[in-house]
Amino acid sequence: MRALLASRPGRTLPLLALLATAGPIGSSALPARLAAPERAGGATGAVARRTVELTLTAAPARLELRPGTATDVYAYNGQVPGPTLELREGDSVVIHFRNALPEPSTIHWHGIHLPFAADGSPFHPVAPGAQHDYVFTVRPGTAGTYWYHPHPHHHTGPQVARGLYGAIVVRAADDPLPATLAERVLVLSDNRFRPDGSLDVRDPNSAGGREDAENGREGDVLFVSGAIMPTLAIRSGEVQRWRVINASAARIYRLALAGHRVLHVGSDGGLFERPVEVSELVLGVGERAELLVRGTGAPGSRAVLQTLPYDRYVPQTRPADWERPRDLLTLQYSAAPPVAPVALPRVLRPVPALDTAQATATRVMVLTQHLINGKSMDMGRVDVSTTLGATEIWEVENLVGMDHPFHLHGFQFQVLDRDGVPEPYPSWKDVVNVPKHQTARFIVRYDDHPGKWMFHCHILDHEDHGMMGVLEVRPDTETRP
Amino acid sequence: MTARSTTTRYVGWVAITVGGACAGSASSASRSELRTDQSFRSSAGTVAAEAAPGQEAREQVVRGRALLLEHGCADCHGGGPNPAADGYLAGMRSPQMEFLIGPCALTPGATPCFRTRPRNLTPDNTTGIGRFSERQLFNSLRFGLRPGETPDVEITSTTPGQGNFPANPKYLAPPMPWPAFRHMSDQDLRDIVAYLKRGVKPVRNRVPDSEGPPDFWAGEYTPEKIGRYPAPPFPTANEQAPK
Repeated sequence: MRALLASRPGRTLPLLALLATAGPIGSSALPARLAAPERAGGATGAVARRTVELTLTAAPARLELRPGTATDVYAYNGQVPGPTLELREGDSVVIHFRNALPEPSTIHWHGIHLPFAADGSPFHPVAPGAQHDYVFTVRPGTAGTYWYHPHPHHHTGPQVARGLYGAIVVRAADDPLPATLAERVLVLSDNRFRPDGSLDVRDPNSAGGREDAENGREGDVLFVSGAIMPTLAIRSGEVQRWRVINASAARIYRLALAGHRVLHVGSDGGLFERPVEVSELVLGVGERAELLVRGTGAPGSRAVLQTLPYDRYVPQTRPADWERPRDLLTLQYSAAPPVAPVALPRVLRPVPALDTAQATATRVMVLTQHLINGKSMDMGRVDVSTTLGATEIWEVENLVGMDHPFHLHGFQFQVLDRDGVPEPYPSWKDVVNVPKHQTARFIVRYDDHPGKWMFHCHILDHEDHGMMGVLEVRPDTETRP
Repeated sequence: MTARSTTTRYVGWVAITVGGACAGSASSASRSELRTDQSFRSSAGTVAAEAAPGQEAREQVVRGRALLLEHGCADCHGGGPNPAADGYLAGMRSPQMEFLIGPCALTPGATPCFRTRPRNLTPDNTTGIGRFSERQLFNSLRFGLRPGETPDVEITSTTPGQGNFPANPKYLAPPMPWPAFRHMSDQDLRDIVAYLKRGVKPVRNRVPDSEGPPDFWAGEYTPEKIGRYPAPPFPTANEQAPK
């Protein structure tokens, strides 16, 4: 396996073949789809430089998203979700994107620190039939859970709804968690179907389409890595590492595993300093969480992971059934006797807090429906102009009665406070959900990569309707005008 | 003219259980063409940093204050006709200030039933109107558009999708008498907005959102139900030129 992953510049590694899921689409054979991937090789702490070269093709496909019903979708490499990309810190990555869709697209590497030209933002659309190479190096210290999805201007929502999204796992050579933990990548998404099996993507000018524009498109069928209500196996006493990605267009998950308190160990940009025990977890659109699930159940028992009611809506368009909890997956304990407990580290890694005294500006972002600071997205406009190396505070004020998950491209940030309540510990984030009528502040350092970076509401319908702006980070050698 | 009589005329089944006389006078002459002045402060949030107002700015704010008082805005939004009263313009602070809109106002339990909660009109940034631009607030009074959900742009048409009028307009909840207020002159509306933004101290009071139908009242505020802006030329069939 190590030979397979050795650095071979200029050649395509058969990495995707290794990582592509084996099970039939739509089956509930989740463990097979999520078979623990190959770990970073060896026990040494040295980061082996390697080049990872792979190809992602976005193309129409006909898949059984639901068992027994064929649906016309868009798929990366023929599957929904797309293949999970396994990267290591330090990797030189070349991804050949082939756009075989009948419309322009991009691939945005959500949360990954990379050059502007590789961001897959609306500034760099890839025409139908065209190819584009995304080239970047995975920065050391950024091990974590990320994801990828299209980001064409005005059309992100429909393309994601049709199936274009996938997980990225970045591993560290010095990961503090035991390598023996079984790992699951859980890509949460939802979708909506017409009676004939086709995807229900509404006409924007219909009443339903306007409701989608308001709420963001939610579906009544919930998928976990492409499967509906899959069963995950666990053994009593075992600890599993779950990487959870909210890839939904609009749904905010309030996750709870019945009878379990889990350890929340990481967020968008990787691990925390210490594990935090939680009984439930709100995961906003685009956010990720790393969880340690401790098998405290008895042999033969089962527990259901649910998303509990979460009122992110304005009263006018709040769905009638919003208070209904929804099942996501079953955790099934084997009959085998409990295994001995695994020792878990109490300290994971240092996460040094960015220093607010270094901040040279405060950027106020006023969020209302479909607008940031009263403006709709304009590709020709720069909303915030700053200099490479600067540290700044962003104050994101949500003036309306709906949650808005706020995403910044290019740079991981640290939340300072939410509605004046200081964040209890530092963590690296690229999305902060700003609940209705609340304010969140974060601090960010533009430490590398000049360019034009998007910031936007990650409710995809809001983003597509223009709830987005442009941050220009200029090289520090440039003279200010 | 009370809000009750004003609103029931154009929102067929609106009735109000509480609240007093939010006067909706249509005192000012309407203009013959749709035109607004672009002399607004440029964006939300910048006004608080203005330098000490000059005489002209003070006069505008005082004019706005008089207009606000004579239109009874604070009867619903807090404080009543007394600018020195506690809670002046700070929005709903007790359930007694809530309106029930719909058949439930007359028959408890009847549906539909929507609760309208008067907003905080003081210029507090996060709970009031401090982050809305003067142009957004002007558009709110002239066109009934929710300021948080309508771009900060000049609107030159009342036809949805044209002249920056939103394709899917979202309106302020009844009984806000904007269909009457819209007929005030540009200058009057600008004066009211100037007073709210610059002549009132911010009060932090987070008012729960008003309820409403999924179309944000668009079905109730059609030209057929509330007439057009500007109003039709004088005299209509109901009117006559003075002898």
